[in-house]
Amino acid sequence: MATRVKGKVEVPVKDPAPVDAPPDQPIPAQPSPRPKDAPKTMRELREYRQGKRPSRAKPTENVLREGLRLERVPDPSILVLFGATGDLAHRKVIPAMYHLWRTNLLPHEFLVLAVGRRPYDDDKFVAEVKKSLEQYSRILPLDEAAWNSFSERIRYHRCDFEDQAGFDVLGGRLEELDEENGTRGNRLFYLATQPSQFADIVAQLGRVGLDHEHHDGGWRRVVIEKPFGHDLNSAVRLNREVGKVFRESQVYRIDHYLGKETVRNLLVFRFGNGIFEPLWNRRYVDHVQITVAESIGIENRGAFYEETGASRDVLQNHLLQLVSLVAMEPPATFEADPLRDEKVKVLRAIASPVEQAGNVVRGQYGPGWVAATPVPGYREEQDVDKLSETETYVAARLAIDDWRWSGVPFYVRTGKRLPKRSTEIAIQFREVPHRLFSEAASEPDPNLLAIRIQPDEGIMLRFGAKVPGLGMAIRPVTMDFTYGSAFNVDSPDAYETLILDALQGDASLFTRADEVEEAWSIVDPIIDLWATSPPPDLPNYDAGTWGPVEAEEMIERDGRRWRRI
Amino acid sequence: MTMDVSPSIKLNEPVLRWSARAHSIAEVEQELARIWAKQDLSTEMDGAPGRHIAARTSVMNLIVIARRPELAERGAATIQALTGRHPSRTVVVQSADPDGPSWLDARVEAHCILPREDAPETCAETIHLTAGGEAGRHLSAIVAPLIIHDLPVTVWWPGEPPFGSRAAYDLLSGSDRLVVDASTWNGDGLERLREMAGMLESTRLAISDFALIRQSRWREAIASIFDDSEFLPYLRSLRRIAVTYATHDETGAPGSTNIVKPLYHVAWLASRVGLNVVKPLAVVAERSTASSRSRPVSGSRPTIARGMAATLSDGRGEVAVVIRPVVSPMPAGTTLRVELLAERRGSELRADVTAEAETVHVRVWLDGVEALERRFLAARRGDVDLLAEAIEAGRRDDIAIGTLREAGELAGGAIVPVAARPAG
Repeated sequence: MATRVKGKVEVPVKDPAPVDAPPDQPIPAQPSPRPKDAPKTMRELREYRQGKRPSRAKPTENVLREGLRLERVPDPSILVLFGATGDLAHRKVIPAMYHLWRTNLLPHEFLVLAVGRRPYDDDKFVAEVKKSLEQYSRILPLDEAAWNSFSERIRYHRCDFEDQAGFDVLGGRLEELDEENGTRGNRLFYLATQPSQFADIVAQLGRVGLDHEHHDGGWRRVVIEKPFGHDLNSAVRLNREVGKVFRESQVYRIDHYLGKETVRNLLVFRFGNGIFEPLWNRRYVDHVQITVAESIGIENRGAFYEETGASRDVLQNHLLQLVSLVAMEPPATFEADPLRDEKVKVLRAIASPVEQAGNVVRGQYGPGWVAATPVPGYREEQDVDKLSETETYVAARLAIDDWRWSGVPFYVRTGKRLPKRSTEIAIQFREVPHRLFSEAASEPDPNLLAIRIQPDEGIMLRFGAKVPGLGMAIRPVTMDFTYGSAFNVDSPDAYETLILDALQGDASLFTRADEVEEAWSIVDPIIDLWATSPPPDLPNYDAGTWGPVEAEEMIERDGRRWRRI
Repeated sequence: MTMDVSPSIKLNEPVLRWSARAHSIAEVEQELARIWAKQDLSTEMDGAPGRHIAARTSVMNLIVIARRPELAERGAATIQALTGRHPSRTVVVQSADPDGPSWLDARVEAHCILPREDAPETCAETIHLTAGGEAGRHLSAIVAPLIIHDLPVTVWWPGEPPFGSRAAYDLLSGSDRLVVDASTWNGDGLERLREMAGMLESTRLAISDFALIRQSRWREAIASIFDDSEFLPYLRSLRRIAVTYATHDETGAPGSTNIVKPLYHVAWLASRVGLNVVKPLAVVAERSTASSRSRPVSGSRPTIARGMAATLSDGRGEVAVVIRPVVSPMPAGTTLRVELLAERRGSELRADVTAEAETVHVRVWLDGVEALERRFLAARRGDVDLLAEAIEAGRRDDIAIGTLREAGELAGGAIVPVAARPAG
């Protein structure tokens, strides 16, 4: 089990020193002598000790951890990565694990068992991983010592996901790895595969008993990537299939948006500050706008995008997650279930926007210019139907029918090939009740609080101020908090946060089954409506513009405008 | 004299954008107001004019007390590097010519940093103050008018803070945090450490010590041993803690090397595990053997490798502490090794933690069987990172308080500053 990192030792003390050596005596090289028949390995020692009466004392906390970066480290474990040769694994999951390892946030007894179909062995896979880390790691160049010790913890297991025998072998291999590496039966199954394979893999894990947790430790958890289902029915079906094998507490449905620093800060901002919450309701808020804008197109994922579109890709998950975080009531405790209970209540209070005509707009980009570069229209992209009706833009007006938000519209929009990449939540406050400065050259704009999630993460508050001079001119000014200025430090990637949480058994930032289904129940009627009604004249917006004119009209009907971002 | 400096800006590199001189606190205040009243502090990017300072940004007041010019320069350079991360109003105070007439000379500067091409600049003020004569002895009176209201006040005191003096007490008792580096103090550092522990008891001051912050990589490595549930029960059964440190003094004379860093290892462990000091640190004065270690030999001169010893107790048994020097090319006072021995129900756990260039190496033996070996990658940190971490600590940190208190006890007990003692 020893790990050795070569390097020049600056310390002049060469050998391990027993602490009972007198202070001025030479330090002997070995601990005190043992009888000849004494156990020589930890395995022998553990077998020898099994005959002894175990302590009944409950293990105490590791008090030395208090005040350190992690007050609790993950248990020894194996992360079993399905789809290990795929794009997601190489771009996101493996780099996240490498960074966690590099920064000593993973336990010593940690192993990655990569499962894929390709005929690789350990060495070949490790070489592939190194190549992708050199491309996708957020800190380059790679730290050679960290990489060397991390690479020793990677194993490859070839397995076709439909092949039962492969899973039979997998169980045995995991037990062997537990024995060799002291990972103690703790396993995190990470499904970074095609969504269509989720149910089969989970069923196979159940068939070979890899879901069973043990009383003496040995937890089993499964991380499932989005999209979780294609619609409400498929999500319910998938939940049912997963639920046949794993308990809900073992399931971690990942939406990487929830791992982003600013999204997590949204909770701190709302519930860690006393001054905002009293204003956070229908009495003071006029409306809320949430924008997830992307300047990129579909990036060679034509086949995938044809099946999903903006509604399934972003609205059902990222956008509705942001809506629920903005609108939720304070949870009783900052724990997984109280937090998710409150989010689910918000989703339940949202009526599907199709119930009122004109509350949902779809769009598709045509050719245009983005960042001074000509780009093709969606229908000209690779693997896209020339007559495709898939939406690359969606905007909706959501109504949350609860005590706090009744009558406050939430306008949400997302799209591809918009002028810039930007994710932002804007809370537009109501105008002052009495226009005291109506004779001023310009009246004060209503206050606005904008929470920028990416890029340039931060929070901006707009308020009116008098322009210096003899007259009474009022101009909007901003107080701007930029994460990069106040905390010019290296933030972890969302995947690092979420993988560490899953290893520690903290499901707060993962989506629960009922949450997924509630979100689908909002989006499903939209998709159904579009399937049965004639589409608009697509494409209906040029790449590099802010979406179709119908989206402007939707919000202007309420006497409001989209924020200029 | 005022200078509007408008150099081209490079990303993440602080640049001087404003400089002015003043000779009284009132003039300093006027200059501070003028910096931000000037509407167009534009600069050039790649030769093209246009970028404006977005705003003054301050998240705290940072007071640097530098008794020597080189400390002031080092302090100012460190703070400039932190402009983007912790923009502060910084006041660097030096005193000069203590027996001459009172005078004040100040340089007021604005440093700006551009975190990204598309971001506004972040700017912060630095005031370099030199106080001559008696003025230099009234630190609190110099600093108080220059503090931004309602922002926390951190005092960074490189060198040797005179904790016993009235001036130091007045300044520190009105501040929120003191930042020091106890590993740079003269001698073994223990007397001043006791005074600092006294300051902790007599004020609401939070204290950050670079010497303690630097050891976080050691603490993580030591804590990691007991993350293992198999080893965790031994944490409550420590019987011996030995820390080896580097010295350049072959005579090993007491007080020749600062031992604050090795002492902090013991103090941290003891405070976390709940060990009480039975006997504070004392020089091991005789040639120690297993049988005669505790009997001092009259007139013997302490020699290298004898070190200091103390006794702690967990209520069930005693825990022996040894802090011993080894001649080493490493900086004097640097911890080279931490060794632990724990005994529980006839079973023995030994842990050996050593530092290498950029790593900490942990080895553990359970009943003589090698049970764990791991290397922790942990880069050494410079003043900028240490100061940033000290600032980010926020309120009083229970772990630091516990460690400082225990260190004070191990060094012989806290010394409460005279100014804080009740009259009479």
